[in-house]
Order: sequence, then C-alpha cells, then structure tokens
Amino acid sequence: MNLKKYFIRALHRLQKGPGYTYKELLVWYCDNTNTHGPKRIIKEGPKKKFIWFFLTLLFASLVFWQWGILINTYLSYNVTSSLSIGFKTMKFPAVTVCNANPFKYSEVKHLLKDLDRLIEAALERILQPTPGNSSENVSPSLNMELWNQIPLVLIDEHDKDNPIILDIFESDQPAGNEIFMSNETSMDNETATPPAPANVTSEEKKYKLAVKLCSHEGSDNCTYRNFSSAAQAVSEWYVLQSTSILAKVPLQDRIRMGYQAEDMILACLYGAEPCNYKNFTQIYHPDHGNCYIFNWGMDEEALNSSNPGAEFGLKLILDISQQDYIPYLSSAAGARLMLHQQKSFPFLKDQGIYAMVGTETSIGVLVDELERMGYPYSDCTVNGSDVPVKNLYSQYNTSYSIQACLRSCFQNHMIETCGCGHYMFPLPEGVNYCNNEDNPGWAYCYSSLRSSIRDRQICIDSCKETCNDTQYKMTISMADWPSEASEDWIFHILSYERDMSTNVTLDRNGIIKLNIYFQEYNYRTISESAATTIVWLLSNLGGQFGFWMGGSVLCLIEFGEIIIDSLWITVIHVISWCKGLKQKRAQVRYPDAPPTVSELVEAHTNLGFQPEDAGTLPRDEALPPEPGTPPPNYDSLRVQPLDVLGPDSDAE
Amino acid sequence: AAMAPGKKIRARIKRTLPVRGPQAPTLSELMRWYCLNTNTHGCRRIVVSRGRLRRFIWILLTLSAVGLILWQCAELLINYYSASVSVTVQFQKLPFPAVTICNINPYKYSAMKDYLSELDKETKKALETFYGFSEGKSKVRRSVDGWNSTASDFFRQIPLLHFEDFSRTVTDFRSGQKRKIEGSVFHKDSSIVNSGDSNDIIGFQLCDANNSSECALYTFSSGVNAIQEWYKLHYMNIMAQIPLETKENLSYSADDLLLTCFFDGLSCDKRHFTRFHHPLHGNCYTFNSGESGTVLSTSTAGSEYGLQVVLYIDEADYNPFLVTSTGAKIIVHDQNEYPFIEDIGTEIETAAATSIGMHFTRSRKLSEPYSDCTETGADIPVENLYNKSYSLQICLHSCFQKAMVDSCGCAQYAQPLPAGAEYCNYKKNPNWMYCYYKLHEKFVKEQLGCQQICKDACSFKEWALTTSIAQWPSAVSEDWMLRVLSWDKGQKINKKLNKTDLVNLMVFYEDLNERFISENPANTLVTLLSNFGGQLGLWMSCSVVCVIEIVEVFFIDSVSIVMRHQWQKAKKWWNNRKRDRSGKPPQAGDLERQGHDNPACIDEDLPTFNTALRLPLPQGSPLPRTPPPNYSTLRLQTAFTEQLPDTLEVGQH
Repeated sequence: MNLKKYFIRALHRLQKGPGYTYKELLVWYCDNTNTHGPKRIIKEGPKKKFIWFFLTLLFASLVFWQWGILINTYLSYNVTSSLSIGFKTMKFPAVTVCNANPFKYSEVKHLLKDLDRLIEAALERILQPTPGNSSENVSPSLNMELWNQIPLVLIDEHDKDNPIILDIFESDQPAGNEIFMSNETSMDNETATPPAPANVTSEEKKYKLAVKLCSHEGSDNCTYRNFSSAAQAVSEWYVLQSTSILAKVPLQDRIRMGYQAEDMILACLYGAEPCNYKNFTQIYHPDHGNCYIFNWGMDEEALNSSNPGAEFGLKLILDISQQDYIPYLSSAAGARLMLHQQKSFPFLKDQGIYAMVGTETSIGVLVDELERMGYPYSDCTVNGSDVPVKNLYSQYNTSYSIQACLRSCFQNHMIETCGCGHYMFPLPEGVNYCNNEDNPGWAYCYSSLRSSIRDRQICIDSCKETCNDTQYKMTISMADWPSEASEDWIFHILSYERDMSTNVTLDRNGIIKLNIYFQEYNYRTISESAATTIVWLLSNLGGQFGFWMGGSVLCLIEFGEIIIDSLWITVIHVISWCKGLKQKRAQVRYPDAPPTVSELVEAHTNLGFQPEDAGTLPRDEALPPEPGTPPPNYDSLRVQPLDVLGPDSDAE
Repeated sequence: AAMAPGKKIRARIKRTLPVRGPQAPTLSELMRWYCLNTNTHGCRRIVVSRGRLRRFIWILLTLSAVGLILWQCAELLINYYSASVSVTVQFQKLPFPAVTICNINPYKYSAMKDYLSELDKETKKALETFYGFSEGKSKVRRSVDGWNSTASDFFRQIPLLHFEDFSRTVTDFRSGQKRKIEGSVFHKDSSIVNSGDSNDIIGFQLCDANNSSECALYTFSSGVNAIQEWYKLHYMNIMAQIPLETKENLSYSADDLLLTCFFDGLSCDKRHFTRFHHPLHGNCYTFNSGESGTVLSTSTAGSEYGLQVVLYIDEADYNPFLVTSTGAKIIVHDQNEYPFIEDIGTEIETAAATSIGMHFTRSRKLSEPYSDCTETGADIPVENLYNKSYSLQICLHSCFQKAMVDSCGCAQYAQPLPAGAEYCNYKKNPNWMYCYYKLHEKFVKEQLGCQQICKDACSFKEWALTTSIAQWPSAVSEDWMLRVLSWDKGQKINKKLNKTDLVNLMVFYEDLNERFISENPANTLVTLLSNFGGQLGLWMSCSVVCVIEIVEVFFIDSVSIVMRHQWQKAKKWWNNRKRDRSGKPPQAGDLERQGHDNPACIDEDLPTFNTALRLPLPQGSPLPRTPPPNYSTLRLQTAFTEQLPDTLEVGQH
C-alpha cells in the first residue's frame, strides 16, 4: 500500500498532467511533442488521421534508415585530400653523393688480387673457341680454395635433356643428382612461358655459365644459378666472392679504402655561399663505399632555400677517378646521388640516380609530400615504433622508413636462417658478416632466401609505410661539360686546387658537375583530413531528423520521458494487478469492482470534468434542447467538433 | 421527402471525401489558422505580434528566411554532382608493368636493300644536286650512272622542289626546269619562314591526281626535314606493299636485340618477351606482356630487383635517311594498353647505363554525371582498331584511320587496318598522299570531329619515370665486358662488339607504394537530405511535415475556399437573377444568420458553435433569446483546450 502510494506520488512529481493511462499519455505526447508528425495525427479528422499516422511512421523509419547510413559512413573513416601547389621557403633536401664504385682499386688490390687472377684465368678458358676440351694445367698461382668455395661452371646444352656440367678448371663431370634451381626453370614455373620456338637455329648458344652454390663445401646439396648471359654470371659471381672477402675487413679499413671527401668533392657552392667537403657528413654505405651527405641536418640546422632556380641551389663538381675502378665489381661509371629528407638514411639502390661523367647534370626538384592521417584512417606509422621489426638502421640515428624496415627484416631473417648477417645491411649486436671461411654455405643460404617469395611477403606484411611520405620529383637534364673551349683551364684549376700541382690530374672521364635546385613550384602537398568528423555526424543526424520530422535532441528526450512515464504506468498497473489478485484470493468483499487507479487519481486531480456517461451518447439526446443557461463545454468547440461528429454520423 | 435522401447522400460524400474542407471559411481565416497551428516558426509570430511595425518586421524576417532556404537549397542541389578526390597510398607487392623495347631503326638496312635501293639512290642524287653532298667519288659516279638509266618513279609522284624565292618560281629537281607553281603553300616547319634565306627553302608538291590544278605545296625551312619527310612518304609507300611476315623477318629478332636479361634477381631470356610488330619501329619486344596469362610482380624495390637488359643495337645496319638517332626506345605501359611508342616512348642512349626508376599511380575518375569520361569505350561511336583496352589515343587514331578509309579509300600505314581495308600505296591509290595531307590537316585543326567524339578513359595507370644515365661500360671494365658479351652474342663470332652498339637498361620500382587517386562523390543523397533538413530547420524549424502542411493549406484548402466563394457568388448571382425575374423579395433567413457574427454559420461543415453543440437553430423566431457570445474569438485562446480530449477519453473508459 505504501509502495503504491510512493509510486503514485513519484509519478505526480514526475509529470504534471499527461495522464494515467497509456492512451492519455500517448495523446498528450502527440499533442505536446515538438516533433512535427504526431500533432497532426491528433488534430486531423479520421481519414487524415490515418494518413498522418502512416506518414509519421514512414518518416520515422526513413530517419532511422538514414541515420544507419550516416553512422556507417562515419565509422568507415573516410578521408578527403586537399592539394596545394606553389613555392615556399623549404628545407633544402639532403643530398647524398657517392661514387658508383665503392673502393679505390689501388687500395683494395691486395685483397682482391687472387680473385682477379682467378676470374681472368676463368674468362680466358671460357672465351676459348672450344671451351672445356683442352685440359691445360691450372697455373699454380691461382688460389683454388677461393674458387672451390663458389665455383663457376659451364653448362653444355647441346643435348637439351642431358646437359653436361663442366667445371672450368676441372675435368668434365656429368650432371649428377644435383637439384637444378636454374633461374629459367623457376621463371618458367612462374610465368609459364611457351617453350622456345622449334626452329632454333644452330647459332643458338650452347654453353651457359652458372654459379654453383652448395650448402656445404663438397656436399651434394647444390644448386646451379643459371644465367642467360655470361656477363651477368661473372658479375654476380664476383659480387658474391668479393662480398665474402670484404666482410672480413673492419669498418675503419673499409672507410680508408674508399674515396675521401677531399678527393671526390672538388667544388661546392650553395646559393651564393661557398662550401667545401667539410660541409658533408661522411657515411659508410655498403654498396657504394664512402658517401657524403650535404645538409643532413644531424648536427646542424637544415638549410633553407627561399628562391627557385639553379642560381640558388647546390652546385657541385665531383671527381670519380674512373681509372681507379674495380673492373669486375661495377661496370657503370658515374656518381650516384640521391635526394632525401633530413635525418633519413639514403637507400641509393632504390632511389638513387646516376650522374654521367663529362656532363653537367641539372636536377630541378619538386617536393611531393603526402601527409596522411594515422590510425584509424589509414594503416600507417608515424615513427615506426609500432612495427614489429627491429630497425637496424637506428644505429645511424636515422628516422624510420619502409626501406629501412624491409632491409632490417631481411637481415633478421638472414641471421635466423644462415647464422650470419649480409654484408649489404647493418648488423645487430653480436653477429658477424657472412664470409666463406666461417659460413661456407652462406651464398647458398642467401640466394635461396632472396628468391623465396614467402619470406619477402612476410616482410611486406610486417612493415608499414610512414604517414608522411616525401618524394623528391626530379627533372633531370644534361649537357656536355666542360665545353671544349673551357676544358683546359677548368681542369688546370681544379687539379691545382686539389693536388697543389701544375700538372693536370683530371680528365673528362672522371669529372661531373651537378646542379640541384628548386623548381618554380617547389612543393606539391597532398594532405588528408577526415571526411567525417563527429561534428559532421551530428549535423547530419540533426539534418535528417529535422528534414523528415522537424525533430531535435529535445524531441528524443521527450520521447524518453514518455517511455519513462509509460514504465511508471506499467509499474502501477502491475502493482494494482498484484494487489487485485491478492484481494481476490483473500475475499471478494465488495460486489463492485474497486475503482481503478486512474479513477482514483482523477478524483484527486480534478481535471475539470468528471467523466460523463453522456459523452458516449449522441449529444442531441443527452443535452437539453435549449441551452438556456450555458456553460457549454467551450473547449470542445475547437478540438473535437469533427471527431465528435464522426462517430455520431457513423453510428447512424 | 424526395430531397432528403439526396441531401443525405451529399452529406455523406462530403464527409467521406478525404479533404474535409478548410479549417476556415475565408482565406484570411485560413491563413490565421495556418499560422497559429503550423509547425514552422516565423508564421506564428506574425499573427501573435501586436503593432504594425512588429508584425511587418516578422513578415520581413519570415520571408527572408524562406528566401534563404530556397537559395541555400538551390546551392546544395547545384553542388550535388561534385566530386572529392582521395589519395590512398598502399604499400604492397606491385605488378610489374609491361616494358616494350624497340630498336630505333625499324628494319635491318642490309636486308632492306632490295626494296629501298632505288629510293636511296635517288635520295643521294637529290642531296648531291641540291647541296653538293657526296659520300665518295666512286659511289656518286655509280649513282649518277644509275640515275640516267632509271626511270624515276619517285620524283614523278612527288616532285622535290627548290624554291628560288617567294616569286613562286621553283626548280624541279628532276628536270632542272624552272616553272611557276600554282596552289596553296603549306610551311611544315613554321608559318614564319626566314625570308633572308629564301634560297634554302625546299619542299614538295602534292597534287590531286584527278584534278591536277589542285595542288598543295609543302615547304620546309630546313632541307634536313624536307628530305626526311619526303623519304618517309616513299618509304611508307614501299613498306605498305610488303606483307607482314616478310616485314617481321626483315626486322630484328629477339636474339638479335637481347644480349642479357635479368629480372628480380633471376635470369630471363627471349621467352619472356613477346614480339609486337610496330609499323614504324619494326619488331618491338614486350617484356611481361601478360600473354601467357600471368603478370610478373615485384615484391622488392630497387635497381637489383627490376628488369635489367643489355641490348645490341647494330648501328652499322641503320637506315641513314629514315632515322638519324641511335639507340633504343622503350615504353612502360600496362599489359592491356597499346604501346604508342612513336608518341610517348623514351629514347635510350648507347654506350650508357640508363636507369629508369618508376613510381606507380593509379587514377580513377567518376563517370557520368560527374565528369565526361568513359569506362570501357563501348559508348564511343568509334571502332577500336587496336586489340587493346580503350584509351583516348586509341580512339583518336582509330577515328583518323576510319576517316582516312572513308575519304581516301585506303588506310594509313602507321595505324592498324580496319576490316576490309588495305594500306595505301601508289599503285592502287595514286591520290592518297594528297588526300592524307589534307585530312591530317583537318584532323589537327579539329575539323574531323574526332576530338569531340573521343572521351577520356575513366581509369588509367601511370608509371612516372625518373631517368638517369651513367657511363657504361666504365673505362676499366670495358675490356672484359665487351669480350664476355661478344661471347654471349654467339660463340662463333670472334668479332668484338663495339660499346656504341650496346644499350644497358634498368627498369625498376623506386618504391612499392601504389598511389591511388580516386574521385568520390562529394555528396550522397543522405547528406543532401540532411543538408536540406539542416537549412530548413535552421531558418524556420521546418520539416517535410511542414512542406506537406504548406501544400495542404496553400494549395488544397485555399483553392477549395476560393472555389467555394466563386461557387457561392455564382449561386447568389443566379438566385438574384432568378429573383429579379420572378420578382420575389429575398429571404429573411440570410439576414438572420448574419446576425450571429459568426461567418461559419453559413457553412454547414464548419465547426460553428451550433453544429458543435448540436444546438438546434432557432426556428421561427428571428432573434435568439440570449445571443451567444462571439465564439470565434475563443479560438485565440488555445492554451486551455488541450485538456479536453483527455477528459473525454477518460469519460469513455
């Protein structure tokens, strides 16, 4: 009893007036809500009422459907991009210059002596008109140990099905049970190229060079890396061998064997300010030996360039002394250079460009930036800390990049599988570079790892690109330099400056001029912004609700209020029902049904009129024929006339 | 009694009609009712406000809000078909593009001797006559001898002319005669010819074979261009008569061209290349053409993992008049794209290592109605003559070729043949050259309509190339490199290769980032509607419901009120006329009702005091005993009305 009173009182407190049955509540809500449809349902005639009811439902379902779409759109985290192009004062890119050849041949000759003699002898044998037949004695000076670690073999393919493998310095040996991992077969598997046409002429090459790679020296587990071209085979073989030899040399010695800044960088001018080799930061790059980076921004502030055009850029004169190249290691001659961001590692093999000797190369730069939103808009990383690959390039103090990640990933795989690190990539703590003595099977291991598509895919999947991607778009043009007329004095002055001698020590074959400058439009920035923000979502939700039903958040609150009210009513109903049940079970004391809650409440609140029985009857009969003394129920004049008429006439 | 059922039926129809009629008898009443009950905000203020100024201000505000809504919504509609661009970068394994490699020289000169000897002889003769150039005494003598014996077809067809000055007196090269020339003069090089060197002007004349007075004269500021152009015309003429198989044999084979090949760290050979015969470049070879069904892909960036080839360019076997530069031409394209090597090829130098770094960009545009592009080219009324997917260039070339076949009766040599046509040559189409030049001029001036018919393709792939060159082979490696490559070329040939015969080419991805630029619809229907809703709600708190309200009140109700008024007027007028004719005085009943001061009383449908309360109309007596108050005024006081339905509902329980 107390509980019911409490609920009723609470209901009173909560609501002033809506009513005490569901119907009252609903009518009150429809009449008073700020949403547009429901009011119409109440106010119109019976036919229109139905139309309005239907329309309101339709609009409400439309609103919810569209809300669903909007929320879905929001959760897909789309981005819009804005593009801006123009010129502004920008940091001049870091410029890395290297020699295409990693070491001075004069300095490394003592290390590569054996190897060179071997390859010369081998070439001698190969290039004979009929190779393999004459069994000359191997000259005693050759280091056959080096040869036997990774030998080059000649494959005689006169008989297609039964190729004969000829070791160049040894007698013939038939193709045993070695696994052929020739490139062609593996490529064929990939590409399923049709077999060579049947009308192969007799001029077709019958001999092929291959590199024999064994997992251990003397073991049977060997593969032949087959090359369609001897030139390729020789270079590949030489790279493998020299890598093994150079891996044993300590870093200090390798730096000493490379090109020194004062020898390589002859002249430097940045804008109007002179610079010299001391402005360059030395870095040791495994592919290219000593590289020099201008404006790396590691110790000093990065330089700005505020003017377009060659006059305000970097001008360099380099000498690459082609005569001192290692003949078999790199066949292309020139400088290798790359433009990159400050504090990033230059990956010259990927993005480096060549500059040709005896020319002036002009490079106009456009900075192409892409600024992306991070998670959840796109899957990129800001500084690489969330990438599950240990960045080995962090020892250079450089920032994360996808190339660094991929190389680190490969090196980590290599260390896991082969037990030693590859010479081309940095080493983690406590691991050594691979060489033939300590790791006899490394070349086999490396080449199988390198051609493994699965391993590459693992690395691709685990590395993420950076959110801010900067590319330097270059417009390259070249001209002959120095011109014939100016050749003499230019060489003379440059030689004098470098070597302090009046003899000309430079020539066309080693000299390169570089101009690097910003173009007229030096940046193109594509920046992303979220296409759908929470503000966007709210305004669209509001727009939809307002468009169909004229509603707002307040309407939602109203609706919630009504639900709470109806919950209260339910609670009261349940209580009274329980009570009724109890009483009925106890005893039916009164013949009449007890007054309902609403009747009781009405008795208290007195909403103006007691329920009239006459209300249900046609008023023609109920009301006195002459309204001698009103008051008539004036209120009914406006709200109900049509409604009252309706049922009346229908009843007729 | 007879009228009663009719009235009843009419009453019932009136009731059952969905439109029960307006809420007010007159338009101003209706407006008042609307303003008080509408869901939009401004209108109510107009009615409720007191004072003229305030009311005027509210009318102004409401009208301007309506204006704003209309303006903004129009803007929204106009901008509906706009697109926003999004750039996504994805790091992934990338498909390697097809790389088509050609020798700049199309056919081996030695093999072409049979076909071209006559033409070459005459060209040399012309050079000697005009410029006094001779390769060597013995050769010249031979050619002069040959000259006398050969009946020159070439010069009869297209005479090479030397202009004395602008007086239109020319020296015919063949006859050496001077004559006046008729016809229009076209300057191929530039419209402004250096008048100081008018002696050097050389050109040729193309005449309509059917009508010899119709001639066009093409002049060139430089003899180099004139001779080359003239040579090319004859060359194309000759080549058009040679069947395709023969031409393929005359050109370079894959073995001739490729010395070494290396892809993604693995060796490759001619089997990875597909032959593709280009009319102007002879045999070209496409690496990774995808014809075998698979497309190679790269999973590592960098020069080591791309395509590395060394090509053998036999410089000694070049045609001296047709091509004047040495090297190779390459083009990077999609497997489904036709390589337009003459238009967008990159030329590669000999004796150098050319490294080409690529960036991959894929773009997609929205088609109709956002922009005027085509997805597949199926909606373009030009037949695709190339066996490749649609591109703008394919469309333009096909369109031109079609126009050529239509107007000249034969097809131009540089483009594929449409069905049933054949290439132009002098024997069959003596007039084609003139026709071609006329047509080409029309095409360039956009008079053929090709540029209007052809549309952009909606999606395209692009490989941005960064080309750099290094010297190759280096001074110290030259020796062994050339020896080994010679061995590669063929063991039996002892001849050492020359480095100017070699081209080293590297094509690789600089990074594996795929940039995907796509257009997206900036607006969807959902956002459009919500923007409408935002505008409507912001200015007037209006919604679709209000729009329906407005339609209801301003169209249906107002019209019905106006109609009724008109009807009553007409009725009154009719009654008056009838009365005038019959001479009866007007009924008193009308006056009585007006006395109630409630216009609603006239209409039975309206919720008047009487109808609402079912008060019987005072019958018989003209004046009510207690005049009811002017109930219409009650309508303003809406605040109390809400309780009534509740109580009524409760009462029914």
